[in-house]
Amino acid sequence: MAIQFILCFNKQGVLRIVRWYEKIVSAEYKKTEDLIAQIYRLISSRDHKHQSNFVELSAATKLVYKRYAGLYFVMGVDKNDEEAIYLANIHLFVETLDSFFGNVCELDIVFNFYKVYMVLDEMFLGGEIQEVSKEILLERISVLDRLE
Amino acid sequence: MGSSLRSFIKDVRAAKTLADERSIITKQSAKIRTKLRDDHLPLERRRKYIQKLLYLYILGEKTHFGQVECINLIASDEFVNKRLGYLSAILLLDESQDLLTLLTNLLNNDLHNSNKFVVSLALSTLGSLSSPELARDLFPDVEIILKQVQDPFLLKKALQCIAKLLLKDISLLEIFAVEDLVALWQNSAICTHGVLLGIVKVLQSILLCFINFQPTEAVEELPKDMIGKLVRFVPSLFKRLQTLNSKNFQPEYDVQGTCDPFLQCEMIYTLRLFFQIDNDEINAYMDKFGDLLTQIATNTDSNKSSGQVILYETTRTIFSLHLDQPLRVLGINILAKFLAGKDNNGKYVALNTLLEVVPQEPLAVQRHRKFISRCLHDPDVSIKKRALELTFAILDASNIKELVNELLQFLDGTTDDDSDLIVYTVDHLVDAFDIHTIAGDDWKLSVFLRILKCVGSYISSEKISDILIEINNTNNMQSKHDAVKQLLTETLENEKTNEITDDNHGWFLVTVWCLGEYADLILGQSANNIVNEESLTRLLIELHFENSLDNPKLINYILTAALKLSIKLTSGKCIDQLRDLIVSHKKDSHLMLQVKSVQYEILFDQPIDVRKSILETMPKFEKVVRTTSDLRNRPLGNTPTKKESAKPDSLIDLLGGDFGSSSNNINSNENDSKANNVGDNINPETTDAMGSDLLADLLGGNNVNTSLSLNKAVSNSVELPSQAQKIHESSSLDIYSVLINSENGSAQIDIYFEAKKNVTDIKCQCAVTKTLKLTMGPLHPSASIKEKEISVQTLKISGSGKLKLRTKLDFKVNGIMTNEQFDHKYDKVI
Repeated sequence: MAIQFILCFNKQGVLRIVRWYEKIVSAEYKKTEDLIAQIYRLISSRDHKHQSNFVELSAATKLVYKRYAGLYFVMGVDKNDEEAIYLANIHLFVETLDSFFGNVCELDIVFNFYKVYMVLDEMFLGGEIQEVSKEILLERISVLDRLE
Repeated sequence: MGSSLRSFIKDVRAAKTLADERSIITKQSAKIRTKLRDDHLPLERRRKYIQKLLYLYILGEKTHFGQVECINLIASDEFVNKRLGYLSAILLLDESQDLLTLLTNLLNNDLHNSNKFVVSLALSTLGSLSSPELARDLFPDVEIILKQVQDPFLLKKALQCIAKLLLKDISLLEIFAVEDLVALWQNSAICTHGVLLGIVKVLQSILLCFINFQPTEAVEELPKDMIGKLVRFVPSLFKRLQTLNSKNFQPEYDVQGTCDPFLQCEMIYTLRLFFQIDNDEINAYMDKFGDLLTQIATNTDSNKSSGQVILYETTRTIFSLHLDQPLRVLGINILAKFLAGKDNNGKYVALNTLLEVVPQEPLAVQRHRKFISRCLHDPDVSIKKRALELTFAILDASNIKELVNELLQFLDGTTDDDSDLIVYTVDHLVDAFDIHTIAGDDWKLSVFLRILKCVGSYISSEKISDILIEINNTNNMQSKHDAVKQLLTETLENEKTNEITDDNHGWFLVTVWCLGEYADLILGQSANNIVNEESLTRLLIELHFENSLDNPKLINYILTAALKLSIKLTSGKCIDQLRDLIVSHKKDSHLMLQVKSVQYEILFDQPIDVRKSILETMPKFEKVVRTTSDLRNRPLGNTPTKKESAKPDSLIDLLGGDFGSSSNNINSNENDSKANNVGDNINPETTDAMGSDLLADLLGGNNVNTSLSLNKAVSNSVELPSQAQKIHESSSLDIYSVLINSENGSAQIDIYFEAKKNVTDIKCQCAVTKTLKLTMGPLHPSASIKEKEISVQTLKISGSGKLKLRTKLDFKVNGIMTNEQFDHKYDKVI
């Protein structure tokens, strides 16, 4: 049970956040760009109201994703993992970003990508969730943020 | 962060064209490269360039030139530098790089830093980016944090880090002190949910090491007493989980009224791992665990997604541990609740899990078939697909009528986008009729007609053959009559109704075949019937006209149908028209059709009684019965054994054959059965010299001029049967053999070639003792096979004597000619 990667891209497929926890070895996708392009193709073509939030990517990986306004948040997880809990992870992450930035929008993420990584690293460690309380996360992040 | 990063990002965003954007990025990238090379650049400025470099990383640009710089930043004493350094190290470096060794010392220092934020950075980095060497070097430093630090913020990270390092190098289990874990678990002052999560992660790592352990030279065995020390966690996990689950409201961990679903799931998963280890002490808790899961299943709110997460983990645990039947039924009922709901995520996971558990509890799953059928009409294709798979998995003789009706409704609603699903459905439907005995031929044939009408253009020729066999073998003549009548009537009326599209090749193929075989069942029933001699003749001619350019296969069927129809008609005019149709291909550039045309013309000129006996309706077709379990367990892509796969082919062959190019082997098994089949049909008295020649031509057909494919319609992969015996191995090939039968005077041996490298142009020559005669079939599927693929060759041996084989192989590996020779003795005399 571990997250293989976390991506965030907009409706046009422009990456905003990318974090690999495991090296994705696949004969099909020699370059990371190709892999990301394939993930975007798979997800952007889906109807986000009437389809599930899970898509199979390869024999080893499935995608758990959710769209918030114009941004997709995607996690690649092991094929045998429980999908639903990762969806909850994504939601908690986005909620935390939302509270931290105060009504987060794409531009916040673009210009403050390093802060997004900071939130990410307080919530996940090596692809495992390490903190599940939004209050604790926000408290910690605001301290770290002031350490500039 | 600095304004220069901001303005860089703004510039990139403001670029009007892709070329503009590219030029801004290239320029900036070059600038970063030069600046970072400048040793005198102050750290503050360096930081700015590294920030920009990270933005380039997100854009997917090359960043390798900044890797060393991350390490320089980490080495700085200032927190801001370290923070950026570690972030860039995590993003830009990967675990295989030598640069990682440079990190060892820096991490070592920072793990002991007095600033807890620095320690936290080091832990995060080590957890994300560690090699086995790094794991070994720094494990003790992380352990010290577990022993000495009381701050939950650091503890949770250290625990997660330990969990990762243990997986990196299992020999670390030897030095890990379980007592530390126990001490933390018992210290309620520091046991926040984050720390608890960390502890269960470490437990998971240890348990996974034990579950997946394979002895190696480096680690021959894992510490024996470790599991014993961990057992005490089982009852205390029970207790914590129970407390969490039973509505213990804690606002900071509440998710939609459920208390910390994350931790609950992790705990259930950890317990599942515990019970996967075969240990008596742990197993003693099994009943209690069952009780706890039941309690969780009843307590948790299935209407909220946070509750569903826990319920889903619970059912996964029930099935992966094969818990008692009542629990399994409980699990299935939980999943059925998801299926019945509106949420597509719930449906998706429920279908996935049900698919896995059908073999364990078929009846309990069947009970929910209404919900499963409903998912067939879901707009989400991945849900539809799984619902289809599940429908076929629960289909049996008791529910076939109900489920087939659902499937037909599903087919009615499909569009071109669903072609994969349609093919899948039809294939499995036809197979289902094959393995389940169904009362009522009427219904069965009407289902086939409905399938053909609805999705005939998607059906593979193999399955069309199966459908033809089903029609052919129908015992109830009335049903057969009704079906043929419906088929012909609808086709004839199609001019007006237009229900059947021109591309529905499946429908027309079946129509043409039935017309040739069974027209006499319908003809002459009543005067004003739409099906009459003229209309049928016209139908053939029209179909012939419409398809003569692009569908040789259908034309082939039409020629045979025309010939067969000719003996069933009385109208001289119609018979002449049919003759014209056949003769029109005498100069066809398609060799097969030309041969057929010439042969059929000769046959046409035979006296009517000769023709009647030759062109009689096909006899019942012997089928190799497949068992239910065969089909159930057959994964997609698995090939049936050779005998089975020969079934549809030989029918096509009888009808005039498929077109192909591999060489024909008249002595092979398939052709024998074919000859027998038609042989039944021949009146020996009519086989004068002329007649028998014709027959030979008609049957063996095209080996005169063209070649006939036996294997074309067979799926292209071959699998090694379990009884295969290895008879030779070399660096490029493994060779197995199976002695299929050895009766008086004949034997059949299949030789399987399994490639270890990509091998091309295999030529296999075999010799047997002089008293035996050997006939070899073609290599199937191909004389060139890729690594791990298999090709098979059939040998038929007749005569008497000891079965000994000398085999000489010529083949190419990477284009280089190689040859090998070996002998094999079978323990059999024929």
